[in-house]
Amino acid sequence: MNQTDGDDEIELLYRQHGAALLLFARAMINDRSRAQDAVHQVFLKLIENGRLSRAVDKKAYLFACVRNAVLNEGKLAHRHRPLDPDTAWFSPPDRDYAVEQSLRRALLALPDEQRQVIVLHVWGELTFSQIGDLLGINLNTAASRYRYALAKVRDSMCAQENTRANSR
Amino acid sequence: MPTPDDEQFEAFLRQFRPLVPETLASRDRAPRSRDSFVLGAWISAAAAVLIAVGFTLHIRSHRTAVSNPASHAASAQQPVPSEPLTLRSANALLAAAPSFKAAVDHMALHSQTIPLPHGQQSAIAVLSQEKIKL
Repeated sequence: MNQTDGDDEIELLYRQHGAALLLFARAMINDRSRAQDAVHQVFLKLIENGRLSRAVDKKAYLFACVRNAVLNEGKLAHRHRPLDPDTAWFSPPDRDYAVEQSLRRALLALPDEQRQVIVLHVWGELTFSQIGDLLGINLNTAASRYRYALAKVRDSMCAQENTRANSR
Repeated sequence: MPTPDDEQFEAFLRQFRPLVPETLASRDRAPRSRDSFVLGAWISAAAAVLIAVGFTLHIRSHRTAVSNPASHAASAQQPVPSEPLTLRSANALLAAAPSFKAAVDHMALHSQTIPLPHGQQSAIAVLSQEKIKL
């Protein structure tokens, strides 16, 4: 594979998975610009080094690279930044940004390991096996964290929705 | 195992699309765009040279046509004969030809048109244009 083909593949992967990778990075550091820097840094390194062709599971590899980029730069120190209500993570259905904020709050309320698992599974579309490899945990642990996370997010969103309904 | 409720909630969550990141400001785009710029410059230069050559040829041919329109018209209609038919050349033909018929055929079949200066006509051409009632 020549350099141009490699670049085209990387560009395609960026279009395909960029949004989920950015969300994953934001789930780790809750800062859009830093999260975007981390994602960009990963892709720029891939373009420069051309190491992607050696990866068997390219999508999982990209998530691992983004995770490492975030961890290596010590950005976890900033993860408890106050929630900025103006910076959405998602494009919500029916442009319901109240529900989007509710989901974001629910995700941020999760422990890091559960938040990463739910983001990787729901929006990154990784299997529990891939998530286990990526996070260095057992497959069953990944599935278990996911179930806990899903239940917590659902409960949190329901509670927020009830609060909103009562305040109207 | 995920329950049906879990699957429904998953489907609900998937309706939220993660925001797309900004365009990748790739560092390698500069060399690539530089390459395409160089290629474009070469193509433009080649096109300019071709246009210049074509224009020059067009000007030259136009000048030739203007400077000698009669010869241009004659050469366009028929080839210029090598030399006019004279008694001497006819004698030479008769002497060299295998037969009299062959010599006459040679003289008849080869064009004897002599290019005339601009504005002049041959007597045969003038006579051929008159309508003669027999």
